[in-house]
This record gives sequence, C-alpha cells and structure tokens, in this order.
Amino acid sequence: MSRVIDVPEVLDHRGFEELVAALPGASEAAGARILFNAKHVRWVSPYGLIGLLAVGRVARERTGLSARIEAPDSREVRTYLDRMDFWQSAHEVFDLEPGTTRSHGASDALLEITPIRSHHDVHAVVERVRERSAAILENRLHYPKPSVIQFSVMLSEVCQNIIEHAETDGWVCAQTYNFRERLGREVLMLAVMDLGIGFEGSLASEHARRFGESWSAATALEAALLFGESRFRDPGRGQGLQAIRKQVAKWDGMLAIRSGDAQIALVPEWDDYPPMQRSLPAFPGAQILIVMPARTAGGQ
Amino acid sequence: MSDSAGQPASRSELPAIAVASLYQEYLVTRQTGRAVRDGIERLFADRCGEALAVIDFRDVAVIDFSCADEVVAKLVMASGADPDSSDTRFVLVRGVRDHHLDPVEGALRRRGLAVAAERASGEPLLIGDVDPDAGEAWRMLCACGRIRSHELALRLGLEPGPCDLLLSDLYRRRLVRRCGDEFESLSFTASAAAEMHAPDELRGDDRPAPLDG
Repeated sequence: MSRVIDVPEVLDHRGFEELVAALPGASEAAGARILFNAKHVRWVSPYGLIGLLAVGRVARERTGLSARIEAPDSREVRTYLDRMDFWQSAHEVFDLEPGTTRSHGASDALLEITPIRSHHDVHAVVERVRERSAAILENRLHYPKPSVIQFSVMLSEVCQNIIEHAETDGWVCAQTYNFRERLGREVLMLAVMDLGIGFEGSLASEHARRFGESWSAATALEAALLFGESRFRDPGRGQGLQAIRKQVAKWDGMLAIRSGDAQIALVPEWDDYPPMQRSLPAFPGAQILIVMPARTAGGQ
Repeated sequence: MSDSAGQPASRSELPAIAVASLYQEYLVTRQTGRAVRDGIERLFADRCGEALAVIDFRDVAVIDFSCADEVVAKLVMASGADPDSSDTRFVLVRGVRDHHLDPVEGALRRRGLAVAAERASGEPLLIGDVDPDAGEAWRMLCACGRIRSHELALRLGLEPGPCDLLLSDLYRRRLVRRCGDEFESLSFTASAAAEMHAPDELRGDDRPAPLDG
C-alpha cells in the first residue's frame, strides 16, 4: 500500500513547506510506503532540491520504509537534477529503481548536492567552490574580489553548523539562477539542511530554563541568530552564525533559518518574507537558506 | 632617540621562539584549528620560562571564524591565563592580509582579547580588543623596538605614570615583552632571535593531521 504526496510544480522554499505539511497525513499509517510524485515539477531551487531529500528521509524514519519517487517529466528539470547530483544522494534516501543514479559529467553548478558528515567534508566543499565561486561572484554577480573569500568563510561556517550542533549529517548545495519574478536579476542561492536536534534541542540545556514557558523553537532561533547564543558556555562559540548574518546583510541578501516549527529570517527590502513564522508544521533539524542578489551598477 | 631604543637583546635574554608556518591554504573548521593549536602548544610543552610563538599566515588563503577562535584566540587566551606564572607565553601573528582580519578580529573581540601582529608587508598591527591609548603606546613601542617606559612617555607626550600603566597592561596581556626596566615589541623580539639562532619551526610536513570529528 502506498500513500502519494504530490511534489509541488515549483519546488522552492514554499514548495518545501507544502511537502512538510503533507507529510504527517501520509505517514500516519504504519507500514504504508510513501510515493513522492514529482512528475509535474517544472522548477526546482537548491533549497527545494535538498528539501526533497530531507522530507524523503523523514518519511522513511516515520514509516520504516524508504519512500519511492516518481521522476519529473520535464526534461529540463531531470537534467538539472542530474547536474546537481540529486540521484547520488537520493539513492541513500529513496527506494530507487536500479539505474536511476546518473552521472552528470561536467556541471555548471556552483556546488552540487554534497553530504556533510564531518569536518573533512567542510574542507572539501570550501576548496571545491573556490574557483567556481570566483567566476560566479565576480563575473556574473559583480561582487568585489574579497567576497570570494568571504563566501568561502560563510560556507564553512554554515556547514559547520551541522557538524557542531545538529549531531547528525546533512546536505549543502548552491546554484545561481535568474530571480526574475521578485528581483529581475540573478541570485546565488545557498541551501544547507540537516535533520538533527534543531536549534531548540541544541540550545535547550543552556538556555531553556532562563526563558521558562516561553522557550520554543522561535525563541531558540532568536537567541542564536540575533544574540549569538550557543549551547556552549564558551563565549567563543556562536560567532559563526553572527558572522553569516552580518555578511548577508552587507550583501543585501536574505537569510532564513527554519527549525522545528519556526522560521526566522533576515529580510532585505526587495523581499517580503516574514521575519518570524511560528506554528509551522514541525520538522526536525535546521534548514538554512541564503540568497545573494547580483549587484547592480550602483553597488547594490 | 633614547640610548636604549632599538638596542638588540643579548642571546641569554631571548625567549624560546617557535615559528608555526601554517603551510595550509584553508584554515577552516574547529577541528582543524584545534589540531593546529595542539601542534603549537606541544612546541612549548617542555619549555620553562619565556616563549614566543610566531604564527605565520602567509600561506593562509581562507580562515573562518571558528578556526580563528581555536588557533589565535585560544592561544592568546592561554598565554595570559596565569600572569604570575614563571612560564610566560607570547603570540605574534605574521603575514596578515586583509581577508584574515575579520575572522581573527571577530574571534578575539568576542573574548575581549588582542594579539600582536604584522601585515604581510611587515607593518605592525594590533588586532582585537584594545583601547585607543594602549594602541597608540603599542604602535610607538613597535616603532622604537625596545625602550624604557619614561622614554616612551616623552615620545607620546604622556606623564610617566600613565604611560607605565599602559605598558604594564600591554605586558599583562602579553602584547609586549618586558626586559628589566625596558619594554620591547614582539616583532623586535622575533627579529632579534632570528638574527641569533634559527627558531624551532612547526612545518607543514610535521604538522599534526586534523582531528577526526
């Protein structure tokens, strides 16, 4: 017996929320395998891409069975999934037909989907993106030269968040695309997700008592992002996220962190994302989205 | 010019020097930072008295905040951990370029610390949390190399008392070295030592492997 979850046509951060909302209903029957029907997907963002992996893994944890996935009909989307190494990671999450794992050959992606399991993976990611990010940030997004290193630092810190705080592994990927509908120019999107203990779980032992009954995923996100709190008493900890926040603001970018049933966002003028969302459908771990817009002639 | 300013130290006055050349382009992650710091600390483990660690950043293309905290901030923190100890540790960071500054400065400020440094050009640079008067005294001391407190006060246009307090505080924070009634910059110490003997060096090929996460 299978339960079907239709993957939204546009699989971005909003599409991810639709998947998360559909999960409880589909996974409530024990022993029912979930089928993710992605046939009608016509656009995928990096966040949506690893979001699908994350939802697939949670489906397996809840039902005890690896979910199946129906590949998109759109040739363009299928090619994109190949290029982003989606099937390599999907192989560890979904029950795939033999031969589904495809190699993409040469890729123009800034960073294909990459599992983050240890600090070695963080090193590998930072080293791998340096040349590509130089070409993309300087030539296509018109960022100044130092931003290539600043991006590497941000990438390192955001991936380390998984190693240091999630107590599990996760994924990262990054790609540029034309953000026509909202901005009318190219953006770089960086997505990082894990299914670990989340911000509320990570900070609880050190901070929950102080907040009393108001302690929640939302207060944990505020404590971490706005006040640099960490689960460690060491004052040197917690600065990675602070550095990311400052850097994203400097680039007029958008930063959103979803954890548990809440999402906090640093919202630039060009976006209308809510700065804080509470009572979202609960989802384990942390899901981080960073959007960096191309700079215009005026410097923004 | 004072009679003591810039005079070289004798060999017996010099601290043990260890140069940690970080032949590593990517100083990222806490685990890597811990491994690098452990390697530097091991160089000092069996030494008594004064010691200066010179950390060379020339080859470092990327350093993140976490690694800067583990390598620089925690070494600096340990150097001032026990001001009364006879084992006095100093840290000098060399080869600093603009892209190193944000992570290193951020990591130090978060702990209320500072470190003596040199840009890749050799220009002295105080990175971290230091008040402006102390910073000015430090820069003047760097320009002189080695000088008595009252002579530095003259150069700074300060009364001897306040100048001595500034220098004593810089010494307490291990940002300058004290030699009897004189103070010297760590750059001066490192250069004097280099002229007299080859310091111990932590090279890339014997650097400890990063710890597993």
